[in-house]
Amino acid sequence: MTQRFDKHILTNGMVLLGEPMEAVNSVAFGFMLPAGASRVPDGCCGAGNVIADWIFRGAGDRNSRELSDALEGLGLHRASSVSSSHITFGAALEAGNLAQAIELYSEIILKARLEAEQFKLAKQLAIDGVRALDDDPRQKVMLKLRERFYPKRLGRSTLGKIDELKTLTSEKTKQIIQSNFNLSETIFGVAGKYDFEAIVKQIEDFFETDTQEVLEPVVPGSKAGKYTHLHNEGAQVHIGLMTETVKPGDEDYYNARVAVSVLSGGMSARLFTEVREKRGFCYAIGARYHGLKEAAGVMCYAGTTPDKAQETLDCIIGEFNRLGEGISKEEIERAKVGLKSALILQSESSSSRAGAIGGDYYILGRVRSLDEIKNRIEATSVDSVLGFLRKNRFGDFTVVTIGPKEVTVK
Amino acid sequence: MEFKNKKLANDLVIVGEVNKSAKSSAVGFFVKTGSRDESKQINGVSHFLEHMLFKGTKRLNAFEVNEAFDRTGAQFNAFTSEENTVFYAALLPEYLVEVTKLWIELMRPALKDEDFNIEKNVIKEEIAMYKDLPSFDVMDRCRSLHFDNHPCGNSVLGSEESIDNLTAKQMKDYFLNRYAPNNMALVFSGNFDWEQVCSVAENLCDKWQKQTAARLLEHYQGSKKKQRAEKPNLNCEHICLMSAGVAGQDPRRFAASLLAIIIGDDVGSRFFWELVDKALAESATMQFGAMDGTGTFCSYIRCMSENVGKVLDIVRDIFEKLSKSGIAEDELRKAKNKILSALVIKNELPIGRLVDLGLNWTYLKQYRTVEDDISAIKAVTVDDIHSLIEQFNPGDFTQFSIGPEQ
Repeated sequence: MTQRFDKHILTNGMVLLGEPMEAVNSVAFGFMLPAGASRVPDGCCGAGNVIADWIFRGAGDRNSRELSDALEGLGLHRASSVSSSHITFGAALEAGNLAQAIELYSEIILKARLEAEQFKLAKQLAIDGVRALDDDPRQKVMLKLRERFYPKRLGRSTLGKIDELKTLTSEKTKQIIQSNFNLSETIFGVAGKYDFEAIVKQIEDFFETDTQEVLEPVVPGSKAGKYTHLHNEGAQVHIGLMTETVKPGDEDYYNARVAVSVLSGGMSARLFTEVREKRGFCYAIGARYHGLKEAAGVMCYAGTTPDKAQETLDCIIGEFNRLGEGISKEEIERAKVGLKSALILQSESSSSRAGAIGGDYYILGRVRSLDEIKNRIEATSVDSVLGFLRKNRFGDFTVVTIGPKEVTVK
Repeated sequence: MEFKNKKLANDLVIVGEVNKSAKSSAVGFFVKTGSRDESKQINGVSHFLEHMLFKGTKRLNAFEVNEAFDRTGAQFNAFTSEENTVFYAALLPEYLVEVTKLWIELMRPALKDEDFNIEKNVIKEEIAMYKDLPSFDVMDRCRSLHFDNHPCGNSVLGSEESIDNLTAKQMKDYFLNRYAPNNMALVFSGNFDWEQVCSVAENLCDKWQKQTAARLLEHYQGSKKKQRAEKPNLNCEHICLMSAGVAGQDPRRFAASLLAIIIGDDVGSRFFWELVDKALAESATMQFGAMDGTGTFCSYIRCMSENVGKVLDIVRDIFEKLSKSGIAEDELRKAKNKILSALVIKNELPIGRLVDLGLNWTYLKQYRTVEDDISAIKAVTVDDIHSLIEQFNPGDFTQFSIGPEQ
């Protein structure tokens, strides 16, 4: 069965994408607005998080309560998120209510009331969210890691910084909404059961405007440094480690994905085998590919009790370094089948497809079919992956630890 | 959708729901055992045993087990709760027979001493990891306080001490009894050939011996105790409230789920409007947990220290108002919409369906279609919710908090 994609571009440049799925009765959609953490002005870190709350506090004729009631009346499950590049306002629901849901979301995006009283509450919640992060060292270490690894702006915390949130005003936040809810750079993705023509008509009515000026592209700044330790009298040392690799659009992208899978795809992958199965250093250990449009890395997490922290880090770095020395054919085959099967399993979920088509379009300028991805994975081999690793050796590790004990990055 | 089931001579039950239009399949063993089936001396054994099943059999060592799974590209894992241990995999249909054979083989593990000793470290790391997650820690400790001496208060992970003292022999004895064919079910969902998987199971499981695997069933109203613990490295107050609810076998479980949504869904609930929307708590949610012969309503609230007093006053008001004035028709309608759409979305994936199929079989010995559950939810009335509130009074709770030094 060939996979079909729908696509329509409004005259102002807003892109509408769709992937029909025959086996489902649900539908998922997302509006990706270019207001992610790296796109907001300096000094406003966390504004995206405030916006994601504030705009649901009343829109058009409805106050906060009425708006919430209307959304719930549709049995809709909200899925807002802030990434480095975008704020995505999405939802999953039964297909029958899609038109009403899009109407409500359009009002929220275009006609949010943005009342000052409500701003205070949204801002307070964002500040408390950052304070609560101290009680979740595992999540905190990964946010800090991105901040340290990516060139400035790109790795900014999506939750925000307390001092910058404290000085954020409703006027400034309104300005950010005005400039960053740029429809010419907005992508709408939908997957599941839907009628594309009807959606196009509906979105055109709401979103067709004059073309807006394209936002300034993000200029990445310098990197923040190699090793950071944050002291915390917890039970474990939480280790985050990241090293640079090729971006999603690179011709070696699939070689990179297979390489990371050999390192940490399944339970037979190297990190799990060496760190947990053979040595019992950790319960949680894993690495994954993390790609932005402008930069990408392999991101690794391990949590371990203080006495084992140094050995754990040494063992992890050893495995990253050892990967280029040789990989067996069986390891490559397991990595490939794992990636292919994950792809097909995710393709049954409307939410994950709606996210994937929007993400592809933003990063690559087009949507990849499942067959294309499968074929590209299939085309990798021991030689191609090792060739890639020779050209792109893992090294220059950025490391962040949170816990009662520091480590040494050798 | 087509439902199938079969009981082998040794009482192992095989259950399946075939969906030929699915792209994937899911398979799982649902073993009716968990921390409530443990004595204090062996607390943590169910969860430790779940880990040990991946360590291999007479034929395969741990590395070979991991490789065998990964060769199929299956997404596989396991979890242990107070009363269930579930091993599951989501995969492409062409690998289903291979993975089913592998699970069956793993259900008769070698439990070698050297694996036992190395895995002890991993378990202790897992205990340490959860200590650094106060949102989890507070619920675990509240559950113990709520259930007092009732076995449902046993910690799933056990303590460092109970794990240190556990012997391989104690684990083997526990295994022999609890992993008996009459105490487990093999469950399939998604796209698969029923005859084929059945014949695999029949051939490979028929030597398993029946055992007496009983469980003490007793409803418990809860201790209603209140306690607080301090941890100097914390920034927020983490509060857990627990009260008694209906059992997983009780037809009122649908009403109980709806009540929890009305009080504590993450958006649009009473907790949400009174606590989160007003920025007094950063998170405030309630869930209904159906268990074997008993049940709980469990709330988790996270707020800043300066707001604790106010938050607890408001919580008291919310429950008082609930007892006095009940709920509105419109609240029930919205809660139904939320649960119904979540149910539809979850069950579109074979792996989502597997869990419902397996747990329904474990608790009810019954097959329920998604449509059965939809009708049951639609049929709940405001009066049903009111009589539940009257009987269980969720405002009369056990409370455990963890927060910074005062």
